[in-house]
Order: sequence, then C-alpha cells, then structure tokens
Amino acid sequence: MSRVVQAGFVLAVLALWYLATEYWGVSGLLLPKPAAVLRELTDVIRTGEFVADLRITLGELAAAFVLSATGGTALGYLVSRSQYWTRTLEPLISAAYAIPIILFLPLYVLFFGLGPASKIALGATISFFPVALSTVAGFGGVERMYTVAARSMGCSGYQLFRWVLLPAALPVILTGLRMGFTVALLSILGAETLSSVSGLGHRIVSLGENMAMARMFAYIVFAVAIAASLNAIVSWLEARGRRA
Amino acid sequence: MRGDDVVATSEEHAAIRVSSVAHEFGEEGDARHVRALAETSLEVARGELLALIGPSGCGKSTLLNIMGGLLAPSRGTVQVGAEQVRGPLPRSIAYVFQENALFPWSTVRENVELGMTFQGVPAAEREARARKALQAVGLADFAEHYPGQLSGGMRQRAALARALSLDTGILLMDEPFGALDEQTRMVLGEDLSVLLANERKTIVFVTHSLGEAVFLADRVAVFSARPGTVKQIIAVDEPHPRRPQFMTSAKFHALRDRLYSLLHDEIRKTMEETYGVRR
Amino acid sequence: MNWRSAPRSPWIARLVLIGALFGAWEIAARWFVDKMFLSPPSRVFVSLGEVLRTPGVLDALKQTFWELGAAFALSVALGLALGLAVGLRPFPRRSLMPIVLLLYGLPQITILPLFILYFGIGPASKIAFGVSHGVFPVIVTTVAGVQNLKPILVLSARAMGANRMQMLRWVVFPHMIPSFFSGLRLAMSGVLLGVLLAELYVSQSGIGHFTTLFTQSLEPTKLLGLIALLAAMAIFLNEVVRRAETRFDRFKTV
Repeated sequence: MSRVVQAGFVLAVLALWYLATEYWGVSGLLLPKPAAVLRELTDVIRTGEFVADLRITLGELAAAFVLSATGGTALGYLVSRSQYWTRTLEPLISAAYAIPIILFLPLYVLFFGLGPASKIALGATISFFPVALSTVAGFGGVERMYTVAARSMGCSGYQLFRWVLLPAALPVILTGLRMGFTVALLSILGAETLSSVSGLGHRIVSLGENMAMARMFAYIVFAVAIAASLNAIVSWLEARGRRA
Repeated sequence: MRGDDVVATSEEHAAIRVSSVAHEFGEEGDARHVRALAETSLEVARGELLALIGPSGCGKSTLLNIMGGLLAPSRGTVQVGAEQVRGPLPRSIAYVFQENALFPWSTVRENVELGMTFQGVPAAEREARARKALQAVGLADFAEHYPGQLSGGMRQRAALARALSLDTGILLMDEPFGALDEQTRMVLGEDLSVLLANERKTIVFVTHSLGEAVFLADRVAVFSARPGTVKQIIAVDEPHPRRPQFMTSAKFHALRDRLYSLLHDEIRKTMEETYGVRR
Repeated sequence: MNWRSAPRSPWIARLVLIGALFGAWEIAARWFVDKMFLSPPSRVFVSLGEVLRTPGVLDALKQTFWELGAAFALSVALGLALGLAVGLRPFPRRSLMPIVLLLYGLPQITILPLFILYFGIGPASKIAFGVSHGVFPVIVTTVAGVQNLKPILVLSARAMGANRMQMLRWVVFPHMIPSFFSGLRLAMSGVLLGVLLAELYVSQSGIGHFTTLFTQSLEPTKLLGLIALLAAMAIFLNEVVRRAETRFDRFKTV
C-alpha cells in the first residue's frame, strides 16, 4: 500500500509539471516542458556532449578523494596511536569540521585559479575530515582485550596491525571513506557551481545564464543520476567491505 | 469454611465480571494469527485479591488488559460494576505494569501526579494525594529523583504509588515484581500486603511466582496452556495482612504444592510447543 | 601549575598546536608565498576593522545573519510540523518517509541556479535554499523521536485516561526532545550551508559581491578577513545550538 502512495507521489509530481507547462501557462523560461527536457537529455547522451564535463568532474573527484583518503587515514591512524593526542586533537578536528568549509572556496580560487585545481583542493580539504575522524574512532575503538590477547600470543607490531587493528577498525573506516566520498562529490559540484569554467556544475550554471532551460534541466537530471549512482556504488562497496 | 475451587460469588458483589471472553490476534489464515485466550468466564468479588497464574503465553496478561479496557476482546464482554467495559476506565481502574512504565523525563513526584493531571484534579489536591501515596510506599524521600536514578524495586514502588494516588476501586497489576530479584520481591510482597490491608481495593494481579500468588492472593486462578482458560481456582483462606510467618507455614506449602501440580503439566506443554518436542 | 603536568593538559597542547599553525601561516605568507595569494594572519587581524568599514560589508554581514536566523526558524517550524504529520501514525510514515529520504539525499547544489531564478537575487532565495537544506534533518529526527516511543508508555498513559492532546503534551513531546535537539544541530549545519552557498553564488549583492570583489582585485587580506568573520558567525551559531542541546540533557531516556 505504501508503494502505491510513493508511486502516486511521483506520478502526481510529473502530472503537475506537465499540466503547469502545457495548460496553465507557466513560462518555458521558468519551467521547461517535460517533453523538452527529455528530448534535450537524450540529445546530450546521444551526442556524448556530457563526456567532457563529466570527465573533468570525475577527475576532480578522483584526485580529491585519493588525497583525502590517504591523508585522512594516515593522520587518523597516527593520532589514534596515542590516547593523549586522540583526546587533544579529535575535538579540534570535529570543531573545524563544523565550520562550513565551502566558505574558503574564494581563497582556493584566488590561490589555485578557476580551474580544476581549486576544486580538487577544496574537495580534498572537506572530505579529509570524515575520513580522519572515523579512522581515529575506528582504530581507537579497538577493544583493548584484542590487543592484549594478540600480544600475549607473541605478535609483532606489523602483525598486530594487519591481523587485529585493521580488521577491527575497518568497518568504521569504510563508513568514513564513504562519507568522505559523498561529501567530496557534493563539494566539487558546489565549487563548480560557484566559481568554475568547466565541469558539470559549471555547465548547469552557464546553461541557466543562457536561458537554455530545457537543456539545463536535462543536465540537472543527469548530474543527480550520476551522483546517485556513484553513491549507490560506494555504499555497496562499503557494505561488501564490512561484511568481509 | 469456604471450600476450594470456588468459581463464582454472589451477583450483587462482583466488582468485575468476565463473561465468555475470548481473544485472537491477527486474522484467520494470517501468518501472525494467534489464539491468545480461549473462552473464559470469571468473577472478581469486591475487595478481594485475585491472582492469575499460568505458563507463558497462556493469555493471562491479555485477559488483564481486556478487563481493564485496554484491549477489546474478540468475543465476550466484561462488566465493571454495572457498566460494560468499552475502553479504559481511568476513574475506576488503575494499572501497574511490569516495568519501565514511568516516564524517564519526569521526577517521581511528577510521575505520580501525572494520572491525576490527565483527570483534571486541581494542583493542590494532586500534591497532597501524591505525597500521601509516596509515603505509603516508602518513597517520600525520593520524590524529586528521576526514575533513572532509582533501583528496579524503587521504580515499581513509584509505579504503585502512581496507581494508588488515583484512588480507584480496582487495581490491575501485570507481573509487577517480575523484573525484580528474589529478595526485593519478598520485601515488596510483604509491604504490598500491609498496604493493601488498609486500602480495601479490588485487585487482580498476574504473576509467574507460585509463592507470590499464595502469599498475596485471596484466590488464585490457574490457567491452562495456550490458548488458555481458567483451569481451576484455589482459595487461600488467610486473613490480611499476611505475615512473614505465613510463608513458612504448612498451609502455605500445601497450597503451593497444589498450584505446582496443577501448573506443572501446563508449563511442560507450553515449553514443548515453543521449543519443539524435547526430552 | 606544575610544569611537569602542564604538557599533559589537552588544552595547552591544543593552544600550542593552533599557535604553531598560525605561526606557519604567518611565516609562509610573509616570506614564501606571493603577496597576491596569501596574507599573514597578523595583517588580516589588523585590517579587520578596515574590512568592516568597507561600504556595504557590514550590511551584507547583518543581512546574512538574519537570513540564517529566518531560515533556521522556518526549517524548525516546517520540519516539526511535517515530521509530526508524517511520523505520528505508521501508515503515513511507511509511505512518505522514503520520499522524504529521497529528497534529503539529492545534491541540492545542482538546483541552486533554479532557486535564484525563481526567488531572485535577494534574501528570499538565500532563505529558501537554507530552509531546503535545514528542514530535512528536523523531519527525520522528529519522526525518529516519535517512532521509538516505547509502547508501554503510551499504554500507561491511556490507562490513566490521557486524551489525544494530553498524550502529545505529556508523552510524545517530552520523549521527542533529545531527538529534536540533535535535529536542531543538524538543521543549523544545513541552514549554514544553504544560506552561505546561495550568498556566495550571487555576486551582484551580499557576501558574494564582496568575495568576488576581493578575489578579482587580488586582495587576500580583505578576503581572509571577510571569511574569518563569516566563520566566526558560523561557529557562534553552532555553539548556541550545541549549548541548547546539552541544557535539555535530562530528557535523554535511560
């Protein structure tokens, strides 16, 4: 029954959209017709126009995530090794994360220019935090009993890491990586929207400025679909990793 | 001298009359369909304390909820005094549940006053009645504490105080001491007996403990396995308040043994049904 | 204070660390990095007054602050109303929550240009975008707060004769409070993000005008100053909500 309501909701939205543009005289400059959007979308996909922008956005995402994942896990691990440093630094890192770091975008643009570099830098900065925090939590939360038991069986530092600490911390770290990825994607799209000359975010903005509404909507749908798919993949990977 | 197995009392005095009540959860053919209570009839005399005892899942709690108007039976009716029960009767019936029915965000005193607040009792009277009830259960010093700060036994005392403060004629208790350890149960049982000797309320309470049933009740209704119905009712002829010495008397042991033999097979039956045939 | 124990206090270490970071910033900005791109904290601090005196900056900051307040209040009011409407009964919850969660998960930044198009470049679009981000956590936490209400508490209140209003006031609402406050905290983060994104996007007026101005005229000092002021505003608002959350700690159920 609830499925019916959900389907009904989607249909109602589509119906309202159709009626508003076809019969109620809502201007095409504000709201393009659904048929037009669909047409533009198929055109974008067919001609492969999206490839250039998508490549840039995904490239920025990949670079940013690699940076934040390596930096975040490394720093997180180091901090977690000491109770003192955990107690000292963890609240600082959390507090810093609470500030909307997107505020620093103008600075990054000033420093790195309008190209992909500023997006990568911002994306890496923002996604660093959830990765680092979850790594600290993951390694810090390993039950002391496990460490004690392993040491009593005579394991070395590396063995302790490989067979005890890492498996125990992994679920939490994977969640942090997933959050970092999601946040990096959002930050990069955001940065592209605010100040960029390329990428999906920029494409949407420039189409809007040129009042090419149907095509703009098509790219919005496309971007949302890409984001949703990437998030789904990453969530699936996280679940796989946690189960193993 | 009243004999055993008394099933009915004089019509004019019945505080609660249960007529042919049966209950099922879910629908026929539904995977979750459960016949919780088989056709049961019962009468509770005014001012008596009736214990309901039986194996797990036999429907005694279901019957209690039906008696109190918290559940509408699939079949049959319940009468409280002259009225037929169609819903909760907060002015006639007060409840004590097994555990954690106190609101954790309010103090003990606020919890005790809550029922009266719902019924529109003015503030001054609420305070006075709450204080009296807390004193009666021995929690006067803990009125401003939060339930989270109290032990299980103290929380149940508070729940009892809340029920008493409502000044109802009938008290329904669903395994009120079920979550407590043996020693606390013993102490609370004795205190309850003293308390109730002064109050003259009609009480129905559900319990798993044979000893508790014999110690506190005027009559004990023994339930059969699910779907349960009243198998037999045993009278405990001993004046209130029950003294600790009663627990070690021969009469107590005889009654307890009778209950045991009545229950034993029902319990075995329930266990086998729940966990599969076992030896 | 015993010097041997001094390094052991986390606060000392934190201050030292923050001091070191600022020190590195200062050194890098003075001697290593081109003046066009980075300004040392000392100069930024000193020129804060100048930034505030730049015509329009103070107004833009005040405007942003009240946009944040308005967006937050609206998010909470709307989120609470919707959350209760959806969460109080199982059928609406089961059918509507997935829709809410779907909308919550959308990358709203992609439709920021649409918000500006529809609501204009004034405060309305900033507030709207802020509400669009802040309302969802309130809905989700309100529904969660109502959902895990223990049935025995409801039964108990019914047995004592509570009517619907009394049930809401004495049982549902107090139970919801811890959840609600964590929702407030998330709502504030959301509102901050939404409003600031919208402000930065619109370069014709407001904060966005000045960030664009300072960037284009290569004035990192003023840019850093402005950002610092905004960051301080964000920290302040977050703290207010966080403090409020701990004040209501007693409602956390055991």
